Amino acid sequence: MTAATTLPQFPWLSLLIGLPLAGALLCLLHRRSRQECRWLALATTLATLAICIGLFVACRHGDGPWLLREDAAWIPRFGIRYTLGLDGLSLLLTLLTAGLHVVAVLLAWPEQRRLPQFLALLLVLESGLMGVFLAVDLVLFYLFWEVMLLPMLFLIGIWGGENRRRAAVRFFLYTLAGSLAMLVAMIALYLLHGAQSGSYSFALADLLQTRLPLTQEYLLFGGFMLAFAIKAPLVPFHTWQPDALSEAPANGAVDVTGLLLKTGIYGMIRFAFPLFPNATRDALPLLAALALVGLFHAAWSAYRQDDVKRILAYSSISHLGLVLLGLAAWNTTAWQGSVLLMVTHGIVTGALFAVVAMLRSRTGTRNLNELGGLWGAAPQLSACFLFFALASLGLPGLANFAGEILVLLGTFRSQPLWALLALPGLVFTAAYLLRLVQGTLWGPAPAARAAIPDLTVREWLVLLPLIVLTVWLGLAPAPLLAPLAAVGGLP
Amino acid sequence: MENLVQIALQNVNLAAIMPSLVLVCFGMGLLLINVFLPRGTTRPAVWISLVGIVVTAVVTVQGWGNPQYGFSDAVALDNFATFFNVTFLLAAALTILMSDDYLRREGYAVNEYYPLILFTTAGAMWMASGTDMMTIFLGLEVMSISLYVLAGFFRGQSASNEAGLKYFLLGAFSTGFLLYGMALIYGVTGSTRLTEIGAYLNSHSSLLANPMTLAGLVLLSIGFLFKLGAAPFHMWTPDVYQGAPTPVTAFMSAGPKAAAFAAFLRTLEYCFFGLKPEWSAMLWVLAVLTMTVGNVIAISQTNIKRMLAYSSISHAGYALVGLVAANEIGYSGVLFYMLAYTFMNIGAFAVLILVGKQGEENLTLEGFAGLGYKRPLLGVAMSVFLFALMGLPPTAGFAGKFYIFAGAVKAGYIWLAIIGVLNSAVSLYYYLRVMVYMYFRDPTEDYAWISLPVSVLATIILAVIGCLYLGILPNEVMAMAKTAIF
Amino acid sequence: METIFFYLVALVAVVSGFLVVRCQSPVNSALALVNTFFCLAVFYVMLYAPFMAAIQVIVYAGAIMVLILFVIMLLNLGTEARKRYTHGVVWAAIASLLVLVNVVFFIKRGRVTGAEGDITDYLIKTEGHTELIGKALYTEFLLPFEIASILLLVAIVGAVILAKKDV
Repeated sequence: MTAATTLPQFPWLSLLIGLPLAGALLCLLHRRSRQECRWLALATTLATLAICIGLFVACRHGDGPWLLREDAAWIPRFGIRYTLGLDGLSLLLTLLTAGLHVVAVLLAWPEQRRLPQFLALLLVLESGLMGVFLAVDLVLFYLFWEVMLLPMLFLIGIWGGENRRRAAVRFFLYTLAGSLAMLVAMIALYLLHGAQSGSYSFALADLLQTRLPLTQEYLLFGGFMLAFAIKAPLVPFHTWQPDALSEAPANGAVDVTGLLLKTGIYGMIRFAFPLFPNATRDALPLLAALALVGLFHAAWSAYRQDDVKRILAYSSISHLGLVLLGLAAWNTTAWQGSVLLMVTHGIVTGALFAVVAMLRSRTGTRNLNELGGLWGAAPQLSACFLFFALASLGLPGLANFAGEILVLLGTFRSQPLWALLALPGLVFTAAYLLRLVQGTLWGPAPAARAAIPDLTVREWLVLLPLIVLTVWLGLAPAPLLAPLAAVGGLP
Repeated sequence: MENLVQIALQNVNLAAIMPSLVLVCFGMGLLLINVFLPRGTTRPAVWISLVGIVVTAVVTVQGWGNPQYGFSDAVALDNFATFFNVTFLLAAALTILMSDDYLRREGYAVNEYYPLILFTTAGAMWMASGTDMMTIFLGLEVMSISLYVLAGFFRGQSASNEAGLKYFLLGAFSTGFLLYGMALIYGVTGSTRLTEIGAYLNSHSSLLANPMTLAGLVLLSIGFLFKLGAAPFHMWTPDVYQGAPTPVTAFMSAGPKAAAFAAFLRTLEYCFFGLKPEWSAMLWVLAVLTMTVGNVIAISQTNIKRMLAYSSISHAGYALVGLVAANEIGYSGVLFYMLAYTFMNIGAFAVLILVGKQGEENLTLEGFAGLGYKRPLLGVAMSVFLFALMGLPPTAGFAGKFYIFAGAVKAGYIWLAIIGVLNSAVSLYYYLRVMVYMYFRDPTEDYAWISLPVSVLATIILAVIGCLYLGILPNEVMAMAKTAIF
Repeated sequence: METIFFYLVALVAVVSGFLVVRCQSPVNSALALVNTFFCLAVFYVMLYAPFMAAIQVIVYAGAIMVLILFVIMLLNLGTEARKRYTHGVVWAAIASLLVLVNVVFFIKRGRVTGAEGDITDYLIKTEGHTELIGKALYTEFLLPFEIASILLLVAIVGAVILAKKDV
């Protein structure tokens, strides 16, 4: 709580959730003027980002489990409280959310169809994500977890590609089915804890005290993990993801990869692992195995795709495999690497999707076979593409490298075999990314292609901060790692 | 003359029946007034019935925390009854608000419609407050007979005729079961008072295992389960719901269903608490069956009214889970759920009314294509109702399902809760399909015919408010539901 | 002696009930229904409920049946107006049999002599059946009795609405 002293007393965390929501409402009210909406949305996301940065600067060195905390009674009947908490982990993820939403709004600038609604949904999504990353009451978390789905459903379903209906419905049903399992597990945990302690509560801090027989712990852990594994997505549950990502509108897809998938990992770190330590301990090898399978399977699938967006979608799954491996290794180094990789992957993949969207708006295709020879036509765009692709495959000095190396080092320390197994996966990553770069930038240009304009000022405005961040985080990731030191409940 | 002195009225406590009394008086008064209204003038009837409901609501709310008993224990106006009475009144008010324009459009602007709604509500109130089998039975009959008429209200439409007749025949049949069960129980215990039956069975515990008691319990349950549309007694629901005039369908699925739950709950808890494991096991099976049958068949429906009919079967199944749990959370969950369901279901039907056209109902999925763009606010409202029916937070549907499943898990029925949750997952699909048509398809029609009459809008707005209020700030009502349990 | 008599009347009641459904002509059906009502009245007498028996005869066998016959005559329903429904007859028969077996089994096994209600044989003999019914209706069952009036009102209104040519 020391950190809060440097900040004026104010419900900052509620503001993080409420501000985008208010912006969304304003957007809908001003839907007559597209220009106003754009600026409104941009202002909202920028303000949110500013608050996040402010919190980061003010609070990052706080000690104690929570840097900031808000608490109010909500449904006393069931011991449900409106509790928000900010710690190092959520600090990084809220920062990432706020940043990527600024990018998303900028990318949505040229959107023609129903722009105000699009921006409003984007802002609602931001609000939901903020809630997910801040809620530390289980029911409140569940609320935001579901609320976050709705804007995504509409974003994919209304503005998506040809198969958008199928993709949207599939995405929605899959993820919701998973979260229903979590709901049952939540209620069961709540009742078991209540029977044990005599006070019924959904607060994470209270539920952490529960001592369960191992069988029950396994079952409940399974319920939670199903929801998170589908969202993450862990390999047997990942089939919705490539569809959703490739059908999502370019500016929406940034957010899916960047953020929705992170909520799954975040849920594991925040809820599933600390609540069920024994089950987690026993499940780590299984998790690691799934992570490795995911790493390889997704990399292989990415290699075989021709659709650029699908390649990136599979690359996300593959990267998250590595993140998960770091978690499963269960030591501080690997774990910090995982979180770092999560954040940097959000930035880099977000940027890659943005570049692909720019590419697509120029060439009208995302098929590798119809692309090629871009370097000659649009060198600035191509350079950016190459830059982010290299960052994605973990070139030293760029963002992903620090996270990947920490994960591998940490894993090697506790489980050398796993680390050795993961290494070829990185080679695969290099393979499909190089194929992607080669297929788009070099080779013969299709004959019938019109001249391609290079990056505009607005597009530079989107990409430049991302480039700076990528380089900066690659060279000096320490500021991001600092707030993680005090996060409780993990090795 | 001596005998006359002996029959002095005893135990008459009008306060115990005041809400229904006021409502019936308004109903009868309205019947009289209707005679003097010129043909086709329906506004006064609407207003009077609404005023009647508001007055009754005021009277009803007075009874909260101030239980009244009377008529030698034939009726108990306790918190339980009051909670349900408010639910019925809400259902009736919302129904009346959305009826006028619809009846006019379909050419059946008949004033007797409104008194019938009031009488149905009064019957439901007697069911909820009855502590004597006779009161419950007669309340059920008043309610059902009004509903038979309301279901067949569109005399010129064969679907409506079919609905009325089917409901009447099957309803009469099920009432036979109910009465048979009551007779057997009376034969065993020698009383029709619920509390006396319970006390007698409790003090003669050998009677609990007696086949005749069990047969009575089963027959009684069949009667109630029929009224609440639980499988395998649900066969009438789809045809009746589809054929009946839309507001009547909305009303039927909310008010009378809640009344059946009220009476069933009270009977089980007052008379048969000694048999809790037995009826809990029976209802376990039926709850699973009801949820599953409703959801699975709803998937293949393309007519939205029929889809909602099947979905209402599955919602009865969710509420049954609360009865199975048979603990304080489960019971109060049923109360809360029925209130929540009233808002979301009536709201959805109100949207159906607006989207329908005169004569042809226009209720296929295709009819909803692109509605979200042509009528954005209507689309948003419908989305709220659909999300509530799916059980997504922050809507009333989530709070309700949470409440009920929490009760089931607490009672140790974890598998039942899981089956319920799986069913919710199945139901996502068909509710979502409506959304898909509303938003992810381009409009095939121009929806120019949709006018937005103030009264129907009022229904929709009230229902949206109800759905969101119960979803976001449910604590107040949850606490009330808790105190409403005996 | 009484048992034999009971079974005899019961047989007549069931057979005439069957005839109500099976008869070709509606008039015959109605007459069979009267027969059933009479048999029920006999049961009431045997159960020491003379008032109920009288009501059964006067109201059902008398008034209501006359009304039904009137309606049949007025509508001039011929024999051909009744179609035979054989749809699902087998299932219906099986279901009914099952229910019958069930009920017989349960009640036989039940062996409940029944709890004695408030109204004992002694009371009936001393105070009289009719008086007791009246008293019960106006004291203990006052509310249900009054609700029944609403029930009738609703039924009448409903009948008018459904049947009137032009409301």
